[in-house]
Amino acid sequence: MLRAIKVLRERKQHRDGPYGYLFEPYRGDEVVSLDCETTSLDVKQAEILSIGAVRIKGSRVLTSERLDIKLKPPKTLTGDSIKIHKIRAMDLSEGIEMDEALEQVLAFIGNRPMLGYYVNFDRQMLDKYLRPRHGFGLPNKMIELSHVYHDRIKSQSLGGDVDLRFDTIASKLNLPMLQRHTALGDAITVALMYVRLKYGKAPKA
Amino acid sequence: MPTEFNESNLPFSLLEPDELKLLRGNLDLGYYQQGEYLITAGEAPEGLFIILKGRVRETESLDDGAQQEHVFVHYGSEDYFGAWSALKGKAMHNFIAEEETIAHILPTKVLLELVYSNPRFGDYFSRTLAAKTEIHEQQGEEQGMAEFMLAQVDGECMRDPLIVLEGATLKETTAMMREKHADCVLVRKGARYGIVTGTDLLNAVVLKELSLDTPVSDIASYRLITVEAGDYLFNALTLMTLQHIERVVVMKDHQLLGIIELTDVLSYFSSHSHVIGLRIQRAQTIEDLSRAAHGLNDLIRSLAAHGVKARFAMDLVAAMNERVMAKLFTLLVPEDILPHVCLVVMGSEGRGEQIMKTDQDNAVIMRDGLDWPGREAVLKRFTETLIEFGYPECPGNIMVSNPYWVQHLSDWSQRMSDWAGSADGETMMNLAIAVDAKPVAGNPALFKAARNWFLRQMHDNQVFFSHFSRAALEFDTPLTFFGSIKKREQGIDIKKGGIFPIVHGIRTMALQHRVLETNTFKRIDVLRDQGVLKKQQAGDLVEALSIFVQIRLQQQLARIDDEAFSEAPNLILPERLDRLDKDLLREALHVVKEFKKHLSMRYHLER
Repeated sequence: MLRAIKVLRERKQHRDGPYGYLFEPYRGDEVVSLDCETTSLDVKQAEILSIGAVRIKGSRVLTSERLDIKLKPPKTLTGDSIKIHKIRAMDLSEGIEMDEALEQVLAFIGNRPMLGYYVNFDRQMLDKYLRPRHGFGLPNKMIELSHVYHDRIKSQSLGGDVDLRFDTIASKLNLPMLQRHTALGDAITVALMYVRLKYGKAPKA
Repeated sequence: MPTEFNESNLPFSLLEPDELKLLRGNLDLGYYQQGEYLITAGEAPEGLFIILKGRVRETESLDDGAQQEHVFVHYGSEDYFGAWSALKGKAMHNFIAEEETIAHILPTKVLLELVYSNPRFGDYFSRTLAAKTEIHEQQGEEQGMAEFMLAQVDGECMRDPLIVLEGATLKETTAMMREKHADCVLVRKGARYGIVTGTDLLNAVVLKELSLDTPVSDIASYRLITVEAGDYLFNALTLMTLQHIERVVVMKDHQLLGIIELTDVLSYFSSHSHVIGLRIQRAQTIEDLSRAAHGLNDLIRSLAAHGVKARFAMDLVAAMNERVMAKLFTLLVPEDILPHVCLVVMGSEGRGEQIMKTDQDNAVIMRDGLDWPGREAVLKRFTETLIEFGYPECPGNIMVSNPYWVQHLSDWSQRMSDWAGSADGETMMNLAIAVDAKPVAGNPALFKAARNWFLRQMHDNQVFFSHFSRAALEFDTPLTFFGSIKKREQGIDIKKGGIFPIVHGIRTMALQHRVLETNTFKRIDVLRDQGVLKKQQAGDLVEALSIFVQIRLQQQLARIDDEAFSEAPNLILPERLDRLDKDLLREALHVVKEFKKHLSMRYHLER
């Protein structure tokens, strides 16, 4: 609710600005699957290491139209996150600045709905950098992959909790696990999951 | 791209780094449900599809209302398809997801770019396509190609060049050419050579009215058209045709070696088929013949190495083997006996379908009442000499050294008829071998009398044909329910699974319709002309059989030195096949499967 009000307010402020197109209602049939690799899972402390995104059009994952951004290494790149992402400072030495990255992300997503696995985390991470610079957060419609999955599963079975772990979903959907823990790899996998859920038969619970 | 796109697979491994980048940058992922069409026949496909996960079948597009679809091939993970359709701009077949499928899609535009920028990559597709097109179009080919492709530019067909020095005059040159019976000379000018032909001289003196003292180097042409020594003679001929010239200069490492004249090339090709034969023909002694016979294995190797199709190599080798046997028979059998006996070769030799020297299968038919006391010793020597020549002993002892296979005409005929009436497996096999008999030496009339009598006897005997044909269904065709090649660790027995069903089925039909040919390809042609086989079906069978023979030969040559080879010469190891051959084999096995169905309908066989 709170986000909805915020978005309304920001739209009023920005719809005639240079980023006005972001606030237009979306009428196309594309969705953007996006994933950020970060130094932590706590939005306040975390910093973005890389951003990957692909467009989805109908039952097709447009891997030819993709975003694969590596950022300049943040000062907080520590041992713990290195273990997860296997991204070391040296891997990011050729990264780009956050300003540039945000420009690319906004241009790529436009006003399309954004898809992710725990998409709110990725949105909050991007907003954290967007707000101080532009004065708005992403206004896009958000699609949560685990909700889509949950709804398809629920319609198949009664009661019980649904296992929403990433790996479980991938194996239930019988999808190949692409390079896990790279932003683009995860974005593509999530995109495939989405397409599979939307167009394929419901998976067994 | 961080997906499981395997770039180390052919043909993608042929791409350069920047081309791979282009490829990666343009791949999309498509998701298809079971039954969904990835490519629809008659429409332009989006591009090349590479399966990431799932299974796709390629099927023939059928008219509305037809219930059964004909499946050609199945594609699984990492398989690709659609290139042919994409390059042609129109798909011939349907490509349908057999199960949920995720596939990479490379748009046609980018595929074309890569095909043009990387010739090897392009070749890989065109090679596949050429082979596939062949299956679809069932073209016949010039049999002479086999020899065309064999011949190389070497001393055999090359002339020594006549060379004059720079200062020589037109008059001196003409005199020299006349003396040496040459119609062209090479003129040396510094480090270069130029060519002057008789026509050039004539033009210079008569039309241009040059003085006879003009240096010949003034009228020479220094732009020499050359071929490298060792190049195919066929290429030299092509060059001459393209350039409208009648001679090319042969070079070796920038050294002038000789000249090839058009007439030489033409006469070489017209006589070459006799060259090998002549050696056999001219053999006066068994030793001469032995040398010629031993040369045959090298011939086969070089045929295969030069990419000559097994089917044509087979014709050539069968003809040579026949000549060797005929010659040996005439050398050994007394002259006065020869008109009263007939040597027949049977089985694959009779059909002219062996490539590597295979087991001897031969017999002698004698005129009724002939008394030939010394025959056992002579025929034993015949068999033994053939073994020395490298033709292995027949494990079933179907050889002239075995008196069982040396019979008088009426006994021979009666026995064939007895076999036909008996039901047991061994006599059926004997009969199958015997009906492929072909006379190679002695008096062929004896053989013809036996054959014609047998064919008359069998005509209309439906029970016999039904019984006889059954063997064709005996072995399973190694395809799974899904239609891909069954992976057996020990490989596929291509003879049982592919060759025998076609050969035996065609043999049965040929007997029934009194086709006198013994070669399976020729039998198929005759059966087609008689309307017994549909045109399409005949073409499919010919292609399928050619593919089996070709693939078997490739693997035989690769394994000929292995110890296990002689135990299982018909084994095909699918993992040793490249993609294309695997596809072709798969399609060919499908043809066999269809043919078996056809046989069981025709002869009312129940499985």
